[in-house]
Amino acid sequence: MSKQLVCPCEDVTVDDVNAAISKGYCDMESVKRYTGFGTGICQGKSCLSSVANLLAQSGKVKDGGVLPFTPRPPLQPTELSLFASAPVDESRPPVGGVPVSLHFTHHALRSDAPVPSRAKVVIIGGGVMGLALAHNLGMRGERDVVVLEKGYLCAGASGRNGGGVRMQWGTSANIELAKRSIDLMKQFARDMGINIWLRQGGYLFLAKNKAIADRLEKGAALHNRHGVPTQILTPDAARDVVPELTMKGVQLAAYNKEDGVIFPWPFLWGYAQSCQKVGIKVETFTNVLGFEISQGQVRKVKTDRGDIACDQVVLAAGAWSPEVARLAEVKLPNEPHRHEILSTEPLKPFLGPLVSVLDSGLYFSQSMRGEIVGGMGDPKEPAALNMGSTLRFVSRFANALLEQLPVVGHIKVLRQWAGCYDVTPDNNPILGRTPGLANLLQMSGFVGHGFMMAPAVAERMAAWMTSGNDDELFTRFNLDRFARGQLEREDMIIG
Amino acid sequence: MKRLEGFQRGKAITVDFEGESISAHEGEPVACSLLASGEFVFSRSIKYHRPRGPFCMEGSCSHCLLRVDGVPNVFTCQTPARAGMRLDRQNAYPSVKVDIFESIDWLFPRGLDHHEMFAGVPVAEHVMAKVARHLAGLGLLPEKEAPARMPAETLRVSIAIAGGGVAGSAAAKVLAERGASFALLEREDVLGGKLRSGAVPKDAEKPLSSADLPKGSVRINTTAVGLYDDEHGRYFAAVSHGPEGLRLLKVYAEQFLVCIGGHPRLPPFENNDLPGVLAGPAASALIRRHGILPGENVAVVGQGESLKLLAELLKASGAQLAAVVDLSGADPGPNAFPGTVSGRELKARGRSQVAGLAFTRKDGEKMKVRCDLVAVALPPSPSFELARQGGAKVVFRPELGAFAVEADESGRTAAKDIFVAGGVTGGLDVRASAESGRRAAQALLGGGR
Repeated sequence: MSKQLVCPCEDVTVDDVNAAISKGYCDMESVKRYTGFGTGICQGKSCLSSVANLLAQSGKVKDGGVLPFTPRPPLQPTELSLFASAPVDESRPPVGGVPVSLHFTHHALRSDAPVPSRAKVVIIGGGVMGLALAHNLGMRGERDVVVLEKGYLCAGASGRNGGGVRMQWGTSANIELAKRSIDLMKQFARDMGINIWLRQGGYLFLAKNKAIADRLEKGAALHNRHGVPTQILTPDAARDVVPELTMKGVQLAAYNKEDGVIFPWPFLWGYAQSCQKVGIKVETFTNVLGFEISQGQVRKVKTDRGDIACDQVVLAAGAWSPEVARLAEVKLPNEPHRHEILSTEPLKPFLGPLVSVLDSGLYFSQSMRGEIVGGMGDPKEPAALNMGSTLRFVSRFANALLEQLPVVGHIKVLRQWAGCYDVTPDNNPILGRTPGLANLLQMSGFVGHGFMMAPAVAERMAAWMTSGNDDELFTRFNLDRFARGQLEREDMIIG
Repeated sequence: MKRLEGFQRGKAITVDFEGESISAHEGEPVACSLLASGEFVFSRSIKYHRPRGPFCMEGSCSHCLLRVDGVPNVFTCQTPARAGMRLDRQNAYPSVKVDIFESIDWLFPRGLDHHEMFAGVPVAEHVMAKVARHLAGLGLLPEKEAPARMPAETLRVSIAIAGGGVAGSAAAKVLAERGASFALLEREDVLGGKLRSGAVPKDAEKPLSSADLPKGSVRINTTAVGLYDDEHGRYFAAVSHGPEGLRLLKVYAEQFLVCIGGHPRLPPFENNDLPGVLAGPAASALIRRHGILPGENVAVVGQGESLKLLAELLKASGAQLAAVVDLSGADPGPNAFPGTVSGRELKARGRSQVAGLAFTRKDGEKMKVRCDLVAVALPPSPSFELARQGGAKVVFRPELGAFAVEADESGRTAAKDIFVAGGVTGGLDVRASAESGRRAAQALLGGGR
C-alpha cells in the first residue's frame, strides 16, 4: 500500500509524525517517543532529517527549535559479548558520561506565552508523580492546577526507567501501594484511552548470598500475608520459568507471576491528556527560578515565564527535588544517583519475567517490542545529577547478564542512556507537609520505584489534599521522620 | 542486478540461502551476492510486514538484515561472503515472498495507532496485547553463545581520527607529513571513502592507501561506536573486525577529529521502502566497489551535483536511464544531466520490488516510467553523533534539510578537543571535503585561525 515511510526500521509514516505534531508533540524528543521513530536498528540514521523537515514545515516550532534528539551510544549495533571485554576498575568510582551537557530545557522550545498568574495548586515536576497527582486532583473536581515541567514529558526518570512493576516489597506499606498501583494500571487504558502495554510476566528475583536469600524468603512470607502469591523457587524450578538461565552461583529465587512490565511513556501522555481535558495546564520547558515566601507560606512560584500566585505547592521533581527545595531554603536528605540502562535489538518473545540478581542489582526484561531492556546499579556511583552514559556500565552489565543468560552474547546493544534515582536515607519516599512551610507539600524520594507507585500514591495524595481527612501515609513518610529518628527501611531496592 | 564484466573478484564460492545454493565471491558483502542472484526481497518490516531489500549498503538502515549462521539481525551489506555461510530471512510467515501478515499493511492503509487502538476495550485489548507480543520483535535468539572475545585493546595517541574517507585520509596525510602521533579508524577495508565508491568528478584526486601513511597509524575494518570518557580521559570506543574475530578497541587521545561523513537519506515518498529503491551512494558503491550494475533501467531522483554524477556513472556503466528527476524545485540548469526534468510527488510502483516510478513534472503533468531501480541521489544527512557526544553543537540547516555539526572553517567545534571535517559539517563535495580535512589537520597541529 502507498505508505510514505519516515522510519522504515519501526514502520513510522509521514502521517504518524504529522499526527504527533498536531497533538502537540512538537519537539524532537517527544516526536521520537510518541511515534517510535529512531528507536529501531538504525537509531535514526536514515530518518532524523526527514522528521526535522516535517517539524520545520509544521509552523509549530520557533526559530532554532528544530533540535536533534540526543544521540545515544553505540553508533552501530554492538554485541554484548564485545562490551563485556572492556576492562573495568571496580575499585574506583565511575567518572564522566556522554553526551556532555544535556540541554533538554533549550530556550527555543519554551513557549513565549506567560504562565497563568494564579493557581490554587502548583505542581513542580511533570513526571509521573506530578501528572498523576494533577489527574487525580482533576478527577476530584480540583481543576485550578498548573504543572510545571522543565523539559519535555518523559525527560526525567519517568521516561528513563525500565518499566518494571512489582508487588515484591519488603514493607507492608509498599506492598499495599504497589498492589493498588497495579490494579490501577490494569484499568489505565479504559480510563485514559491510551495503551500502556502491561504484561504480567512476573518478577524473578535471584539471590546469590545467604543474607539476600534470607531476605527473599522473609519477603515471600510477608507477601503471602498480603495476598501476593510470591513463591520461593530452587534454581532448577527457576529454570523452568526461564530455561535459558544458568543460575550460576544462585541459591534460590523468588517469583511472583503477577508482577510485570509496562511501557512507561504512555502513562505521562495519558495523565497529561486527561489533565488538559479538564483545563489543568501542563507547562513544559518551564523552569522554576525561586519562591516568594512569607509567614511560613509559599505565596508565589517564580518561573522563567512569569510568577504564579498559589495556595499550595507540590514538590514532585524527583531527583531534582533537593535542588528546587533549596530555592525555598528547605533541606531535603534526598540525593540523586545515576542509574544506567540499555536496550538491545528487538527479538521474538522468549523471556517472560523481569529477572533481577538482587546481590548485584542486575535486572533485565523483554519489552513488549522485543528488546532486552536492562540495567545494573554501581556501588561506587557518586551522588550527582549526572545522566551521561559510560562504557563501564555496558561492560559491567554485559558481564553480569552473560553470566546468567549467555545465549544473548551475540545480541547487539542499540542504545544506552541513564536516569537518576532519587535516593533517601531509608529508601522510602518523602510525602506530606514541609515542617515550617505548611503549604509546600513533598512528593519525592522514591528511590527508583516511583514510577510503579505513582498511580496509588497520587490517588491517596489527591484524596488527602482535597478532603482534609488525615491519612497515615503522609505522617509515616513525612520529612520530620528523619528528625524524629523513626525510620523503617525498605531493603528490596534493585541496585 | 547483473555483475559487470572485467571486474576483479574474490574466489567463486556458494552460500546457503534458505536451503538454496547461491553463487557468491569470497569477501564481497553477501548482500551483493544475493542481489546479483536476483534476490531483492530480504525481509519483512517489523509492523506492516512490507517487503524490504537493501537500501543504504553501509549499515545505516535496517533493510538488509538476515539471520546469518544462526545470529539474528545481521547487516548483510557489512558481512563478507564466506563459503557455506547460512542465510535465513526473518519476520515472515510462511515465507518472505508470501507473508500472510502482509495483510496488516493492506487492512490498515492509513496506519495503525498502537497508542489508541483497542485502548480500554474489554477482551479486545487483551487479545491485542497477546497478538502484539507475538508479532513484535525481529529475529529469534542466537543458536549459540558468542565465542569468548579477545581482551579489549587500548591505544594512546595525540590525535584520534574517526573515518578514513576523503576528509579523514586527507587530514591523516598532513599529520603524517608533520610527524604527529595519530590513529586513523576506518570502517571499510580501504581508505578513501567516496573516492573509491562514490559517483565523483573525473578529475577527483586519487585515494590514499594505508601504505601511504606511517605503519601502525591506520586501523582498517574498525568502526568507532562511541566517544566516551573515564578517569583516564576521553577515547573512541571502536569495534575492529580482524581475521581472529571481533575486538573492542579504546583509543585515548588529546584531540579528536570526526570525519565519518553522513548517512544516506531516505526522503519520504509513497512506497519509498520498496525493494529496488536504493540510496545513491549504495548504487555507486555497487558499481565501483563490487562490480554490480544495480539496475538496467534506472530512474535517478535527487538534486544538485550528486544527481548529475550518479546519472553519469550509471549511464557509463551500461544502464538505461528511464528518468532523471530533480527534486529541488528549480529548473535544471545548463550543466544538468541531459534530459533531467524537475519533478515532485514521487511514488515507487511495484508489488514486491520496483517496477516503475510515478511523479509529477513541474508543469503539472503526471508521469509514469517503467524502471527496475529508483536511485536516490541526495546529499547525505551528516553523522553528528560522535561529535555531539563530545560536546560539539549541532544545528538544523534548512538549506541542507538536515542537522550538521557547527564548526569554523578549520573544523573547530564548541568542544575544544573535538574537530570535524568533511560530510559531518554538511553538503561538501569531494574536493571541499579533502580541503576541510587538510585545514582541520593544520588546526589540530596548532595552526592559526
